[in-house]
Amino acid sequence: MRNYTKHDVIIDGVRVEVLEAGRGSGSPIVYLHGAAASPGFEELLPLAEGRRLIVPVHPGFGASDDDARIDSILDYVVHYSALFNQLGLAEPVDLVGHSLGGWISGLFTVLKGHRVRRLALACPAGLHVPGHPTTDLFTIPPENLLRYLVASPVILQSMTSAAVTNEMRVARYREMTSLARIMWERDYEPKFDQWLPGVSVPALVLWGEEDRITPVQQAKHWADKLGCAETATFAGAGHLLFTESPDAVGRVAAFFARPT
Amino acid sequence: MSVLSDLQFYLMHFMPYSDVVPGRPQGQWVDIPNTHFDPAKGTKLYKDYLDELALGDELGFDGLVVNEHHSTFYSLMPSCTIAAGALIARTRRAKICVFGTPIALTYPHRLAEEYAMLDVMSGGRLECAFPLGTGMEYWVNPVNPSFARERFRESMDILMQAWTQPGPTRYDGRFFHYKYLNPFPLPYQKPHPKIYVVGSGTEDTIQYAAEKGYGYSQVFTPVAQQLKSFENYRATATKHGHKHDANSIIISAMPYVAETKEKAVEEAREHVLFYFQKLLRTSAQMNSPPGYMPVDRLRKRLEATNGKDMEITWEALNTIYRTVQGTPDEVAERIAHWCEEAGSSKIILHLHVGDMPHWKAVKNITLFAEEVIPRIRRMAPKTLVAAE
Repeated sequence: MRNYTKHDVIIDGVRVEVLEAGRGSGSPIVYLHGAAASPGFEELLPLAEGRRLIVPVHPGFGASDDDARIDSILDYVVHYSALFNQLGLAEPVDLVGHSLGGWISGLFTVLKGHRVRRLALACPAGLHVPGHPTTDLFTIPPENLLRYLVASPVILQSMTSAAVTNEMRVARYREMTSLARIMWERDYEPKFDQWLPGVSVPALVLWGEEDRITPVQQAKHWADKLGCAETATFAGAGHLLFTESPDAVGRVAAFFARPT
Repeated sequence: MSVLSDLQFYLMHFMPYSDVVPGRPQGQWVDIPNTHFDPAKGTKLYKDYLDELALGDELGFDGLVVNEHHSTFYSLMPSCTIAAGALIARTRRAKICVFGTPIALTYPHRLAEEYAMLDVMSGGRLECAFPLGTGMEYWVNPVNPSFARERFRESMDILMQAWTQPGPTRYDGRFFHYKYLNPFPLPYQKPHPKIYVVGSGTEDTIQYAAEKGYGYSQVFTPVAQQLKSFENYRATATKHGHKHDANSIIISAMPYVAETKEKAVEEAREHVLFYFQKLLRTSAQMNSPPGYMPVDRLRKRLEATNGKDMEITWEALNTIYRTVQGTPDEVAERIAHWCEEAGSSKIILHLHVGDMPHWKAVKNITLFAEEVIPRIRRMAPKTLVAAE
C-alpha cells in the first residue's frame, strides 16, 4: 500500500514537516491542510497515483514547529512561497487546499498565480457570504466539535471511539492557538471578493452538502468570484470532505489530470 | 520587623448580580443571557454595595478595592474606574485601589488618563493593580487572546511612558502607534501611584512583576501555590536590584465574623458556597480561550487535574483558600497567621460575599473593623520609638 515519506524542511529558521508520496513527470500536487493536522492525510493518497504529492504541515500545526511571527494568512502565503523555493518547485503546481488551507491557497493564487497550474478548493474558509456565515470554530464546545466537522455517522463513530488523552488536548489547544493568531478577530478576508476575480488559473470548488462549518451555499459565491470555476458538491459529506468522500478525492485527481 | 507592625486592611467588593440564572453548569459568564438583568434590582445593588464600601472608609479600613469583569453575573463592574469615581466622591481617607481594568482590553493612553484623573480627584489616594483579565473577558471583548500577554506588556510600557516621560512623546509598538502620547491630566502622586501586577501563578507574570519592580498579587489559587509564587517573586526582584518589602505582596481573604463560631458558619456558609460554586464557576473552554494560556501551563494543569473540573467543597475551602468563619479572636488569629506566612502586610478582605444580604455585609464589615482589626494591631510587637 502506498504511504508517505516524511522529511523536515527549514523555512526562515522554522522547522516544518513535509509529507510526500508518489512520483511522476507532471506537475506536482501540493495540498494545504485545514485547521487540524492530527488526523493525518491517508485519504489523499490516491492523488499520488502517477503524480508527486506534497503535503507540507503548517507552522504551528502537527509535527511542524511554531513560528511566533505568523499572525496572518498573508504570513502563511509568504511561508509557502519560500517553501516552494526550498523544494525546488520552479514550475507551476496543482494546488489543492482544504478549509483553512483553501483560504491560504486562494490568497496564494491571488498573489502568486504564476506558480499555480490548477487550483482546487475544498470547502475553503475565508470568504464572507452574507446570510451563510462560517461557523465560529472557537465557540464550538470541544465535545461537540466532531459533530460539526463530520456528517457521516459511521465516520463520526470511528473518530469518537478513541479515548481523548491529555497529550491530544494539549496538541489541540496548540493548534487552536495557532489558528487564533490568524483568525480570532475575523474568520474571513473582507476583501477576498474584490481580489478573487483576478485569479486566472482553472479552478474547481468542491463542497460537502452537509457541511456545518462552511455552509454549502458558499460554494456558489466562490465559483462566481473565481469566474471560470467548476463546482462539485457531494451528498452526505460534511466539512472533512476528503475523509468522508473518496469521490471528492477522485474528482480532484481527474481535474488535475487534465492538460493545461 | 514583623509584617503585623504595618498591616493595611483593604476592603474589596466584587459587586455580584446575585439573581443567577439556574441550570447553568457552565457558569454565569460570557454567553449568559443578559435578558435576566433587572435594572431596578441593579440600582438597589449598586446603592447597597457602594454604601458597604463607604462604610469601610468610615470604619477605618486603609483601602477600598474595586475590580472589573465583563458579561458576567459575577460582577456589576464592567468599568472599575466608574466605581472608583463614585467612591472618591463618598470617601475622604481610604486609599482607592483599582484592581483593575485589564489594560490589554482597552487603549493604554485612555487608561493612563482615567487613572490619573482618579488620582488627582482623590488627592493622591489611588493605587493600581493590573490584571491580564480572565480568559472569559477575551470572549466578549474584541481582543485576540493569543496576543493577550504581549499586548498587556506593550500597554504597560505605554502607560508608564505616558506617566513618566514629559509629553508629548511618540510610541511605536506592535499593537499601538502614538504620534502624540500626551495624557492630560497626569497623576497626583509622583512619579505615579503604586503599581501591582495581579496574576494567577503563571511563571512569566511573576517574573514580569519582579523584573519591573512592581508589586505582585495572586488571586484565587491554592495558598501553597501562592506562597511559592511569592518566594519566586522576591528572589527575582532581589536579583534585579528592586527593593521589595511586605507591602509588595497583596494577599486576599474571605472572613466572616460573628458572636460565635457556629453563628459565623451558619450565617456565612451559603454565601461563600454560592460564590465559589455559582459565581466563580466557568467552563474550561471559556476559562482558556486559544492562546490565552501558555501551552506548557495547560499541560501542567491537565496533569494535575486529569482534565476534570475541581469540585469545590466546603471542607476543601477552609484549607485551600483563605476563608474563615469565627469569633473576632479566631478570625484575628487566622488573618495574622496568613499575613506572616505570606510575608505580606497588605491584605484584601472580601466581607460581602456572593448573595449575602446587605445587613450581613454591614455586620461583617463592622465587626471586622471594630473587633478584628484592633486585635490584630495589638498582636504586633511593640517597637520603641525614640523620644523626640
